[in-house]
Amino acid sequence: MSCEVLVLYFAKSAELADVRSERICVAQQTTSQQLWQEIVSRHPRLAALRDHVILAVCQEYVSIGDQLLLLQPGDEVAIIPPISGG
Amino acid sequence: MFAAEDTKSQDLLIQNLENILNKIKQNKTPFVNENFQHFLNTKNGYLVSSLVTEFLQFFDLGCTMAVFQPETGTLHGSDRGNLAHVLGIVENENTRVGPLLLEVMKRCQNFSSRGDGSSDSSLPVLHNLVTELPLLEAKISLSNKAILRYSRQLVLPELGVKGQLNLSKSSVLIVGCGGLGCPLAQYLAAAGIGRLGLLDYDVVEMNNLHRQVLHGENRQGIPKSLSAATTLKQLNSEVEYICYNMTLTSKIALELIQQYDIIADCSDNVPTRYLVNDACVLTGKPLVSASALRMEGQLTIYNYQGNPCYRCLFPVPPPAETVTNCADGGVLGVVPGIMGCLQALEVQKIASGIGTSFGQFILMFDALEGRFRNIRLRAKNQNCAVCGANPTIGVLQDYEAFCGSSASDKCRTVHLLSKEERISAQEYKKILDEKVPHLLVDVRPPVEVDICHLPDSIYIPLDKLEKKNLDCLNHLKRKLLEGRLKTGEEMSFPVYVICKLGNDSQKAVKILQDLSGKELGALLAKDIAGGLMAWSNKVDPTFPQY
Repeated sequence: MSCEVLVLYFAKSAELADVRSERICVAQQTTSQQLWQEIVSRHPRLAALRDHVILAVCQEYVSIGDQLLLLQPGDEVAIIPPISGG
Repeated sequence: MFAAEDTKSQDLLIQNLENILNKIKQNKTPFVNENFQHFLNTKNGYLVSSLVTEFLQFFDLGCTMAVFQPETGTLHGSDRGNLAHVLGIVENENTRVGPLLLEVMKRCQNFSSRGDGSSDSSLPVLHNLVTELPLLEAKISLSNKAILRYSRQLVLPELGVKGQLNLSKSSVLIVGCGGLGCPLAQYLAAAGIGRLGLLDYDVVEMNNLHRQVLHGENRQGIPKSLSAATTLKQLNSEVEYICYNMTLTSKIALELIQQYDIIADCSDNVPTRYLVNDACVLTGKPLVSASALRMEGQLTIYNYQGNPCYRCLFPVPPPAETVTNCADGGVLGVVPGIMGCLQALEVQKIASGIGTSFGQFILMFDALEGRFRNIRLRAKNQNCAVCGANPTIGVLQDYEAFCGSSASDKCRTVHLLSKEERISAQEYKKILDEKVPHLLVDVRPPVEVDICHLPDSIYIPLDKLEKKNLDCLNHLKRKLLEGRLKTGEEMSFPVYVICKLGNDSQKAVKILQDLSGKELGALLAKDIAGGLMAWSNKVDPTFPQY
């Protein structure tokens, strides 16, 4: 079963993906690593940020790895690289 | 009469020179001594000698330079444009009628005199060293003056007298007096915090003023920490301000940070963020951290009541080339303003005893969409190198090496090309004057081209060139063809690449070199070192700087 989620790209990830948000179709049951892979396959330049982002699903941090996710249609996925300007 | 005065001046000058020469001959007091040599080798020494040189040259007294030039070899012919830029002096028709030394003097006068003409004897003291501060005394009760001053927040049940007294015995170190630090310091001073440490290594520049709201036009060239304290003192003289005009380094961070109750990270670079984090963990201080870029902001409280630290979330620093600074990326002034205000709120909540809501959350501000999002963060990482169960970091590190970037937000200078593959702005001016056939390619983003550009350049943004965008390549091919038709020669066609500072142009030359001989035909690509800012400094002072 797949479902459509909303991916939000912040800071550097929006620049590298060249988009600020988009709806993508992903498997409802997936791991955080698979979800990240799915996003990177759409925007290969994001691969450089792998260890330098917060990945959040429904405004909750998930570590990119084996963590199991049960996604619902419309869920919000956020890619958040830190910014350092001031 | 004028001729007579001239002769008189000349005689006087010759007499002086003779006196000096005689002194040198007698070798009683060496004219160029070690102190002088040492001073000239410092940045300030260079500036002072450049100012003197410029002064002499302004009045055509360059000949007197001969007296102290030969021994030192460090006094270059002064480049007024460059010197003015370094000193943060923006030249206009009023400044050009006098030597730069006069502008420096005017600036000091502006700064030290207040509106009523009297000098302010209570100017904050600038620290260049970390010294031990006396303990902040806890007050038992509020004075009538304090009750009146803080009455509008005293009547808040959440704060009350107890909260206000807590504020007055708290000290906060603000790392960075820029876009975040200014509003943060302003609200903390207004609210009656006990002591504010203000740290910044930089001086006020014109391009800071749109967001760094404690500074002002007459503060250009003045240390930011001092400028901030000067403004704050007028807002609330009861607060104690300690100005640190220095870079936060591993050497001083622990000694400095342990003297404060709460640390606010308002810095503008990655190495400082890791340094402040580690120092806060090692000294057990809460870290109220915010950042802003373009139209986005982030806020988190690290290392507070068992919550994660910066390293728990970001164990590895991002590759330097993926980090954007304010100069390159831009920042809308009010965005760090909002984030700094949120920092002030959280600092006040922690200091007064209310407590913070952001220990395990990151607040994201999207200014474009007008939305705030709170993202719940992970718990403390048990494997964290600095705050985990078995930390490997017990002393502060070399954070510039760790991050592969410098502890400032100044643009990095890349070195991709050899000397032969680059030309100076002056050399390019000569090419233009001699009408040598060539193509000038400006690789800046369109938004920067809109600010200013050289005539007759074609625009191909670097990111499009990197992606080998077909439209752009065809455009380039067409222009090259036109150029070759004009010269009718089969030689490698000269292409000069320009950007703002001469970094992106080097990357573009590398790409063009790859394409040369293939789809674009033979071309000889070079970049203009220093870019348009060098053009403005060295060739055309009327060309804007940004």
